[in-house]
Amino acid sequence: MKEHVIEIKNLHFSYEEQPVLDGINLVLDRGQFLGLVGPNGSGKSTLIKCVLGMLKPERGEIRLFGQPVRHARLGGRIGYVSQKANSFNLGFPATVKEVVASGLYGQLGLLRRMGRLEWKKVDQAIAKVGLSAFRDRNIGKLSGGQQQRAFIARALVADPDLLILDEPTVGVDAKSTEQFYALLTELHRHHGLTLLLVTHDIGVLSTSVDQVACLNKRLFFHGDPDEFAQREQEILTQAYGHDIQIVSHHHH
Amino acid sequence: MFDLLIQYEWMRNALYAGVIIGFISPLVGVYLVVRRLSLIADALAHVTLSGVAAGLLMQKEVAWFQGVNPLYTGMFFSLAGSMFVEKVRSLYRSYQELAIPILLSGGIGLGVVLISAADGFNVDIAGYLFGSILAVDEGELTLIAGIGILVVLFFLFFYKEMFALSFDEEHAVLTGISRKIINLLFMLVVALVIAASIRVVGILLVSALMTIPVAASLQFTNSFRQTLIWSVVFSQLAVFSGLFAAYYLDWASGGTIVLVSVAILLLILAVKRIVRIFRRNPVS
Repeated sequence: MKEHVIEIKNLHFSYEEQPVLDGINLVLDRGQFLGLVGPNGSGKSTLIKCVLGMLKPERGEIRLFGQPVRHARLGGRIGYVSQKANSFNLGFPATVKEVVASGLYGQLGLLRRMGRLEWKKVDQAIAKVGLSAFRDRNIGKLSGGQQQRAFIARALVADPDLLILDEPTVGVDAKSTEQFYALLTELHRHHGLTLLLVTHDIGVLSTSVDQVACLNKRLFFHGDPDEFAQREQEILTQAYGHDIQIVSHHHH
Repeated sequence: MFDLLIQYEWMRNALYAGVIIGFISPLVGVYLVVRRLSLIADALAHVTLSGVAAGLLMQKEVAWFQGVNPLYTGMFFSLAGSMFVEKVRSLYRSYQELAIPILLSGGIGLGVVLISAADGFNVDIAGYLFGSILAVDEGELTLIAGIGILVVLFFLFFYKEMFALSFDEEHAVLTGISRKIINLLFMLVVALVIAASIRVVGILLVSALMTIPVAASLQFTNSFRQTLIWSVVFSQLAVFSGLFAAYYLDWASGGTIVLVSVAILLLILAVKRIVRIFRRNPVS
């Protein structure tokens, strides 16, 4: 039997009496790549925050690697690239290396400093995302796509088993977005990483992921991408409401 | 200058105080600037002024207080003010800069009222407002050195955590770094540095050493480490010139320190510009 990396049972969450998540059940097994889609305000980010322990669910249960989620705690087994990652202070004086190293700080603990082993991990993570030539560059001076890679490296440096990405390609140009998905596919196929990608880009679902979940307060679909492609119009009409024009550009 | 050092204790005190302040001010300054909190230093400095005024008033009214340096009451007010900053920041999540005008005007208001209540002091209040590095005495040097050690210890322990929190607070918290405790400790450290630097640059100019050397470094540094190092270098340069000017030219030390910092910044901007022009039209 495959290990359940994420297990969500009957999850409910509301903001000021407004239900945002209504009875979500979802399981993600080790080695899977799940694409989570849904319209704006569908509760995608809320779901991620519950999974990360930043928000406490009203009802229901979330288990990560079989353990119930209590506190927010990354490092170790979970890596996270947030939506806000590319809206950081562009004038911040830090190199790619320094930013990636900060992914290890929580794990290192208060009194331990970066040693040779830690810097080696930093170099490896930077190499994995193909930024070795840019390690000593200022992060604010890189392109949006390169910055996104640097944040992936920061998430990867602690060697997680699960990588969660919340709309990581917002504001990144089309070509970089494509390279970005290629990187995710590579991490998934060759490094066996379990991935949860929140996106509004339906096109990516047919090429990269092996599981699709469609969310709008409730889960409207959870299955493989082929089935999703066949029933795409029906599912999206249900989840997004009628009359909504679905913009779906496919990546090749 | 070296024979002066050997000869006069006050010159030694001034030099040591300057070196310590020139080191710790830009250190906390870098973090304040990158977190867009540079004005907090000014606000806390004004609160420190009311503390100093309270100290002077007590010296006048309470016999027991006569031996207490008003810098200590200033420091106490500044520490209380820094905790208030954190409180206001958490009360108004989307108006975090609101703490600054509240403290700034509150501090000055209280200071002015205390000064008027005392019906003037026989100490020169201008020395606190604009700094007087040559007047640093043994007791004050001890205070400054003690604060210097605390600040260095803070950054030895929390360099990593402070970097992570400054760059990306949400991510830092998710990796298990305790935001509340470290932010509070940092604000306390800022308050201490302000109290310590009053003698050297003065309340009205305290934020200069914390921000101008950092502004100059940010023009050309790539990494956080470089920014820290260059900020300290520029700040030391400014402090030494201030000391020199105060002694040989009888200029105000605080003002000179600020002017030299600004001159360094302008020089760097000019050099950057020249380099850019040369790159565009290379001389063949």
